[in-house]
Amino acid sequence: MHAIQQQYWAFRDYISPVLKESKFKEHGRITPEEFVAAGDFLTYKFPVWQWEKGDTSKARDYLPADKQYLVTRGVACLRRAQSLAYTDADEDAERLLSFDDSSSGLTDEWVETHAGRKGTVDSAANPGEIDDIPDLDGDHDQITTAMGNVSLTSSAGATMGETPDLDDIPDMEEEDLEAGDDEATAAPPPKAGVLSSGGVIDASQVEAAKGNLLQVRTYDVMITYDKYYQTPRIWLIGYDENRNPLTPAQIFQDVSADHALKTVTIEAFPHSTSLQAASVHPCKHASVMKKVIERMNTGVEEQLAARKKDGSSKDSNSKKKWAFGRKSSKEDSKDKNLATEEDEQPEAMRVDFYLVVFLKFIASIVPTIEVDSTTSF
Amino acid sequence: MPVVQFAPFSSLVQPGFWHELTRLKIDVLRLSDESLTVSGSYSVGRSIRDRETGQDVALGCNLVLGAAAFEQPLQVPPMSVTMHGVFKNYNTVEEFKAADKATTFNNVANDIWQSIVESRDTSKLTQFLLLTFSDLKKYQYYYWFAFPAFVAKPAWEISTEGWRAADHELGASQLSSIFESLHAQTKPFFLVNLTGDTAEVHSIERADTYFASDAPDSTIVGFLDPSASPDNPGWPLRNLLMYLQTLYPSKTSSVRVLCWRDGELPVGGRSWKSRFGIVTGGAGQPNAKPTAVGWERHPATNKLAARMADLAPMMDPTRLVDQAV
Repeated sequence: MHAIQQQYWAFRDYISPVLKESKFKEHGRITPEEFVAAGDFLTYKFPVWQWEKGDTSKARDYLPADKQYLVTRGVACLRRAQSLAYTDADEDAERLLSFDDSSSGLTDEWVETHAGRKGTVDSAANPGEIDDIPDLDGDHDQITTAMGNVSLTSSAGATMGETPDLDDIPDMEEEDLEAGDDEATAAPPPKAGVLSSGGVIDASQVEAAKGNLLQVRTYDVMITYDKYYQTPRIWLIGYDENRNPLTPAQIFQDVSADHALKTVTIEAFPHSTSLQAASVHPCKHASVMKKVIERMNTGVEEQLAARKKDGSSKDSNSKKKWAFGRKSSKEDSKDKNLATEEDEQPEAMRVDFYLVVFLKFIASIVPTIEVDSTTSF
Repeated sequence: MPVVQFAPFSSLVQPGFWHELTRLKIDVLRLSDESLTVSGSYSVGRSIRDRETGQDVALGCNLVLGAAAFEQPLQVPPMSVTMHGVFKNYNTVEEFKAADKATTFNNVANDIWQSIVESRDTSKLTQFLLLTFSDLKKYQYYYWFAFPAFVAKPAWEISTEGWRAADHELGASQLSSIFESLHAQTKPFFLVNLTGDTAEVHSIERADTYFASDAPDSTIVGFLDPSASPDNPGWPLRNLLMYLQTLYPSKTSSVRVLCWRDGELPVGGRSWKSRFGIVTGGAGQPNAKPTAVGWERHPATNKLAARMADLAPMMDPTRLVDQAV
């Protein structure tokens, strides 16, 4: 059944037309050209992101051959999202962040949820708090069930022995390969937390002070362009602290409770012939992005209005500017663009920023995965 | 003075590599168990700041193998370098277990040694060995990495000051110019020549010129350090020191070492992450090939043992259907 569904999705994706006109302002959707422009901006500003060409047999012809999708590797995830159980008090802790963009002088606010939130010791120890999440949609029971399923799957996975213990593989140890301990090899860091010098602790060390176990996972994060939904789409491949690939149940531990098993699913990665990855379903991306963009633009318009009142605005520049035509994929022209924009009046959000904003939105779905490397932005 | 302890490489194999291996095994290699050349990469050691505690958490000293490992040459981003390896896939688990691992390991170590004494070439100083057995029906992959490194006798020691932040020794403008140079062309190993406020980056093969100069303090040996641990330089330094000791025995009783760890320029008041230390070595030129170590230990048990990647949850169609909603 799932296979048929995937075939259907692939077909639907195939027949849906490539978005030609810009719907960025009206619907929060972007064209492939705008995806490339936004991706170029992201890779330029934040070099941890790279363009990839993917499997050539799976290349999409509406995207440049060497710019099929974006990837960043080894994104750290220090804690499980499930351990971040939060209460009504945290809801009040939402705060407006100033979103200061130095390259265009645009300033806007951003709601940061759970600002003062502390990680709890263990979600399994206080499942009651998870049930207390206020649910605006009213389907309280559904979420509770979904959360129950998550823990069921993961605990069942552990007991059923999905990963055969090493005991099942006899004679795989060969301690005699190397004679004795080598004094010049750094010992693996101790498992209990004595902080080493320099204020840097090792990933496998225990955070003793709060009794909060640090299990540092890393994620490879990919952003593809979804032709059907006409938005970017995010994909995750995770590794545990011993660098073993994560199972789906483990990945769901890093997804916030509101989204696990609802919007995050395991699906075939479109730029590989066989790879499966966890993905955030893009059906709501456009409407969320539209709201965010509108919000940012309202802020800008208010600024402009205020400026007009002062009578100091230059008419030629006070019009809203939409940089739809900006498809500069060449680095040199980009440099020039960035330079000239410094002098311009505040303008509404450009499509270049789309992915930067998109990552901030994704960070709310996977709160403990540090996908948003753009905090200095 | 304390012995220099090097942080060993940890292997990180992306699922894409196993998918590619599966495809190769079925379509190309079939029953062949010839060795192949594969490429991985490592980047500067990274640490991230924990937002809740404000501490820096060091991420491992990783060698990464991805789906492109069988392609030559491998494309790597700036501040990452390619590392080549010998890859051998066995057809049965018995062959995998019975393989003469010591000989295979020594062959790679010999290759590295030859590159030092004969071709004086640093491009082969870091190499790895990867042995695998793929149970394609169960989507399970057994594997074992080795990163051969020579054991110096007596061991290298770090001066009493220990490893320090690089900006204690070098000025910000010097570090910036090293950064610019490495960002434009990333080298695994390099020489830094200091003149006044500037720093020039040269290839290690030009050590003749700079070690012979009158001001030995103006020359620093640098390497791209995959370790982020403050007191442990990364594994590649081990063979680099052996290279210098073997070829320039009279000049390397004391080596000024820069462990390059800055993938980007420091922002927002953060300090440079690179480390600097003065390493002193023992008696001159080893006559014969030193012994080598470097089998990867199992991360869970810390024993010398093979590891297994179980990709069934992400590859087995029946398992994928189970969790699909």
